[in-house]
Amino acid sequence: MEYLSTDKILVIDLATSKIEETALDESLVSEKIGGAGITKHLYEKHLNDDPIVIGTGLLTGTTCPASASGLITAKSPVTGKMCHCPVIYKVGIEIKFSGYDYIVVKGVSDKPVYLWIHDGVADISDASGIWGKDVWESTDSLRKFMGDDLLQTMMIGKAGENRSDYAQICYNYWSSPDRFGLGKLFGSKKLKALAFRGMGLIEVADHENFVRRSLEILKEIKTNDFMTKKGIAEIASAMGEAGVEEWLEPIVHRHSADYFTPYATNTAVFLDEDPKRVEESKVAEPGVLISDVLALLAFKKLGLSAEDAGRALKACAKYGIDPAAVAELSGKSSLKEIVDSFDGLSGTVTLKGKGSFSPWCPLKPIFNDFGLSGDAAEAEAWWERRQAVAMIFGIQPIFSVMCPELSEENMLELAAIGTELDLTQEILDRVVADLLK
Amino acid sequence: MGIKIDALKCINCMACEMACSYHRDDGFAFLSACIVVYRAREKQDYFGVLIKEEEFLKVARPEGLEVNRIGEAADPNKKADASVKPMLLREGCDLCEDMDDYGPMCIAICPVDAITLE
Amino acid sequence: MNLYQSNADINIKLPQGKAGYISKGNTDIRISGVPDPECRRMRYPRIGIYAGSGTSHSWLWFVDMFERMGFHAVSVLDAPAVRSGRLQQMDVLAVSGGDTVAIAEALGEDGARQLAAFITGGGVYLGACAGAYLVMNSSKPHLCHFNFAAVKITNLSKRLPTCQSMPHKFSIAYGCEHIFHPVREAVGLRLTGVPPFSGEPALLVPLYGGPGMLAPPEAQVLARYDHFTDKTVFLVDKDLAEETLISTAAALRVPMGNGQMYLFGPHFEHPHYHRANRLVADAVYWDSRRNPDECSPVARDALQLPTSESANLIHSLRRELSNSRIVAAGLEMFPVWWLIGAKAYEPEKIRVFLDAMWRRLKPLEKRGRIWARAGVPDLLMADACETTSLLRQLKNELDQGSVTDPTARTLFHLLHRNTMRFFELYFQTISNNLTP
Repeated sequence: MEYLSTDKILVIDLATSKIEETALDESLVSEKIGGAGITKHLYEKHLNDDPIVIGTGLLTGTTCPASASGLITAKSPVTGKMCHCPVIYKVGIEIKFSGYDYIVVKGVSDKPVYLWIHDGVADISDASGIWGKDVWESTDSLRKFMGDDLLQTMMIGKAGENRSDYAQICYNYWSSPDRFGLGKLFGSKKLKALAFRGMGLIEVADHENFVRRSLEILKEIKTNDFMTKKGIAEIASAMGEAGVEEWLEPIVHRHSADYFTPYATNTAVFLDEDPKRVEESKVAEPGVLISDVLALLAFKKLGLSAEDAGRALKACAKYGIDPAAVAELSGKSSLKEIVDSFDGLSGTVTLKGKGSFSPWCPLKPIFNDFGLSGDAAEAEAWWERRQAVAMIFGIQPIFSVMCPELSEENMLELAAIGTELDLTQEILDRVVADLLK
Repeated sequence: MGIKIDALKCINCMACEMACSYHRDDGFAFLSACIVVYRAREKQDYFGVLIKEEEFLKVARPEGLEVNRIGEAADPNKKADASVKPMLLREGCDLCEDMDDYGPMCIAICPVDAITLE
Repeated sequence: MNLYQSNADINIKLPQGKAGYISKGNTDIRISGVPDPECRRMRYPRIGIYAGSGTSHSWLWFVDMFERMGFHAVSVLDAPAVRSGRLQQMDVLAVSGGDTVAIAEALGEDGARQLAAFITGGGVYLGACAGAYLVMNSSKPHLCHFNFAAVKITNLSKRLPTCQSMPHKFSIAYGCEHIFHPVREAVGLRLTGVPPFSGEPALLVPLYGGPGMLAPPEAQVLARYDHFTDKTVFLVDKDLAEETLISTAAALRVPMGNGQMYLFGPHFEHPHYHRANRLVADAVYWDSRRNPDECSPVARDALQLPTSESANLIHSLRRELSNSRIVAAGLEMFPVWWLIGAKAYEPEKIRVFLDAMWRRLKPLEKRGRIWARAGVPDLLMADACETTSLLRQLKNELDQGSVTDPTARTLFHLLHRNTMRFFELYFQTISNNLTP
């Protein structure tokens, strides 16, 4: 596969330490397009080895607006079914630039390891130095060892190592869309982390036309009212949650976006530093970056102050546990009790949706109504399809439920221009149907 | 005429870096860009934008713009960070002189209009 | 369009024994398969690039330029190689930028004798910037062994002018005097029409620390500094810069025995200046006249590695170069530079060495089995691993605000050495496996 691709699929067997590379066939892209279409295919191909398949969308890391996401496809310890977990922040694009479109991790290692994926090279490395450390210490440790502050990681903490059902894979230092307990799967394979970095170049078939259309789509997107807004509290407000902005505002530092995502979906709050400080903080760990609006709301509903909610989210991110599950299952209303509940957290969580896509992304349109009637079943079907399409092309999932201009037609058009493949609505419908069945 | 950056408007999305590199490489990458989103202090949530021009390096920090003549010695009292003369060997900004349809690509692609022409 | 394709085409034919001729046409140099009365027979030259002590990274520009033009019989030489007589196996020696005195010191009296024998024996010397200063008459220690050309330089002053910009790039002491650099970056030249430099009379080239020159009677001026451009950075007052450079010689052809010295103030070999590169190639064709019988054959002590060893070596190199590049890319954001010898080195230059090797891994892979002298692959890998380790150490030292000069010095030495080693292997492989 020549365009919008690194043309490489990596298969790593942790049991044997065998590393194989294969080319990404153009015929597979013609049939499955990319992202979840192909991770599902690879998952099924390696099913007997309980695989974790990491991949990127066909448009990930391009000039297509919001082309930020990668994904992890694996069997969820929470649902027992195959699921697709988005990879956000800047981690998704780093997967592609590190030299692989898809990475299959199969088997179980007999000792703690991490995978170092860089510039088309994959190394299985000893993780004994970071096993037992929390997510933040481990990420710091890898970045220091590699000499690179921009190393992008998928990391488990103690929850994953201890195989908690609600262990979460964290990205760099932060909580992730993992509602599926994939941290437990990492832990059961003795896989502490994946670290990505690469300085590759992705070629585009008709680059001038691709960029021209990307900028036209961006121009349409910029006519949206949501372009005057930023951050997670505004998302909560758009979901109908009253009072969140006033509650959170005193600790808000800045808002930031995933790669080329026009809406800043992430909000950093400062807990141990003046949130209004604009100079670089001298405090080593002044706060936490929040991307999980539902977990934030869940802590608010337990009666926590914004600061304590922030501290709870920070503690979850360090421990590597799903904050939404903690909020639901702990049932506690004080920060200490919540943190104390991490060990031995048990029970059954409510996962909205059909279980394939992460309900970390609100299950309703945000800022725009997408022409939906308000019928619950219609909204659910719309959300499932919207998530499937986002996970095929590599679109930031929350942005996909706020931006009608990022239509299936536009994504298909860019994919076709970028690859010179005949990618039609019929093919997309077929891939989506396969993902939703 | 030059590029003006409002660091407080910036949302750290890196689109400018990609677009600039595209202008040099005709593909998608980051390494050739003369505009770079500085994001190494992730836990501190500290980010800004650097742009290398022919003679000057502009550092748009949240606390304000810093313009340095390339090659002048760094402040020895300042801790190493995005300061005086990084990216020396990258080509300086040419305002995308060959991109007639768009003008500077970083301006065209910035979703939040944090980059403008001055 | 590949601007070097015509040279590359010729350089495929010449080693196969096909005849090529170069002559001065009415407006341009003419290269043809048919001889005319004024023509010179072209040879496929054996080229040495000096990359030993005292050089900066700019010797890699000569590597890039020659490779793109299909000159693949290239050897990268250090000072011991020059002193031991390797030059006598070459048709051309290229010496680029760096610290002139350090180069002279490294080559020493023996190196000077070898260089003189090489040129007087019919060799072509290409000296850019420091490489040009090297062979100019001087009474200074070390340089005094290289009094090959009575060229005067105009950017020499007893009193250092006021520096307006880039103080660490501005000047170096030269005995009781100072060599100062009036401008940097692109300047405009005017060709004089003296062969082999011909074609469009105006030309842009980058000037970093090279001289303005006054030619001795026996020399031919090939190009003069004509004007500054909007890319020119002034390190001194503009009037003084004009007075120092404009109308002085920027490129000279100076005879010495049967050979010729081409002295360039600006870097004609810089990879972004294709037209200037073509002129250098024309100079090589024009004056590479040593009879092949007069030269010893190129050393052929390289062995072909088995397929699996070749693949493993490339994979291992890719791993380590990637590890190094990742750290080096981050270092680009640090406002630090190191004085090594008389030259300022910035972190960005680390990547120049690493990228020079990195971007050749794929071409090397396509060539199939690698050719290398015994032991070279192991040394190459050991230094590559050590480079990563030193880079990570340097990054940690910078993070902690520690002194980094010793680590940087060791690192650049290592990078230099290993890049030379890599290119030895690289050119041995591509010249032995001509078809990719």
